[in-house]
Amino acid sequence: MGKILVVEDDRDIRELIAFTLRFAGLEVETASSGMEGLEKARTFQPDLILLDVRMPKMTGFEVCERLKQDGQTAHIPVVFLSARGQEAEIREGMSLGAVDYILKPFSPDELPGRVRDILKRSKGAKSP
Amino acid sequence: MSAVVIDGHLVHYETLGRGRPVVFLHGWLGSWRYWMETMDEMSIHYRTYAFDFWGFGDSAKVAERYTVPHLVQQLEAFLDALGIWKCDLVGHALGGLVALGFGLRWPQRVGQVATVSLPFTEDAITPRLTKVNPTGVLDKVFRQRPLDYAALRAEAERADVQAIGRSIASLKGLDLRGQKPPARWLAIHGEKDDIVRPPEPGSLRQDASRFRLILFDQGRHFPMLEETSKFNRLLKDFLAGDDLASLQIKEEWRRRTH
Repeated sequence: MGKILVVEDDRDIRELIAFTLRFAGLEVETASSGMEGLEKARTFQPDLILLDVRMPKMTGFEVCERLKQDGQTAHIPVVFLSARGQEAEIREGMSLGAVDYILKPFSPDELPGRVRDILKRSKGAKSP
Repeated sequence: MSAVVIDGHLVHYETLGRGRPVVFLHGWLGSWRYWMETMDEMSIHYRTYAFDFWGFGDSAKVAERYTVPHLVQQLEAFLDALGIWKCDLVGHALGGLVALGFGLRWPQRVGQVATVSLPFTEDAITPRLTKVNPTGVLDKVFRQRPLDYAALRAEAERADVQAIGRSIASLKGLDLRGQKPPARWLAIHGEKDDIVRPPEPGSLRQDASRFRLILFDQGRHFPMLEETSKFNRLLKDFLAGDDLASLQIKEEWRRRTH
């Protein structure tokens, strides 16, 4: 069972992602802002963080940078959540250390499989 | 009949009794109505509530809110509207998923959860539910039809078929066999249920101190309507807090009436 942290300011999207992943057997924690996301990344120690790019106050890119600078969270793979049409921005953000990105609106049918694939890939990349 | 308005849309509900709140949630084939006898029995000790999900019974047909996560939000909004902070949840099939989804989202708001005919995996749900009209499925469910079958059938007939299809479509990848119980959890199934296949007991990985599976050996999809007295007694023992390991299906008993 993988542990996933979802950082997303839009309540409907956050709840939909969390629900879909929980019912696919994953353990999920949520955060509604970048600051809350940073705190929960430290305490929850997820296997993967799904991070919205466009959030008020602290953007997903800023959160990602801080995660990668913190020894307690630097190892956690980050996946950006971004609206369609923002692909160029996302590619730029990938240079901050994210392992992948998921475009919104996503299909609930595909999300658990996509997350499991990324988890598998990230675990594979960690092993020697 | 009572109603609350949630986000500008009408939600129909019924309530009976006094005491600790217990909320009943219906499944894909109908509405609150098939909880009526059980609510009546439980209302001696509890304040019971049942409402119709979006697209079912007398609640509004709000097509963009038919996914299970939206129904979890409907339950949250319903409880908020009625001023209920914490309650026990009893959910049948779709309602069981909503109960569990709500419990996982808000564990502090749920005392106990009883699920009836809950699909543990996506493939446990018969494809007939989305291919055949709900009344067509319902007509084949009962070996012996309950007394008020005509009323139940009329409710099933009013369901928006999209509400059935979309809620099921939102369950891709569903796998609850290892799901950590958000609260004390009793799962009841009919062994002969061909609408939602019961789980293989050996495939479940829940912690036995928080979870119990009970099978009605002759039961089908609606144990609460097929063996009402036994079902009610079991539910009553569970809600009263009896040790999960000691729960069992007991012979019928009837409430004394004057």
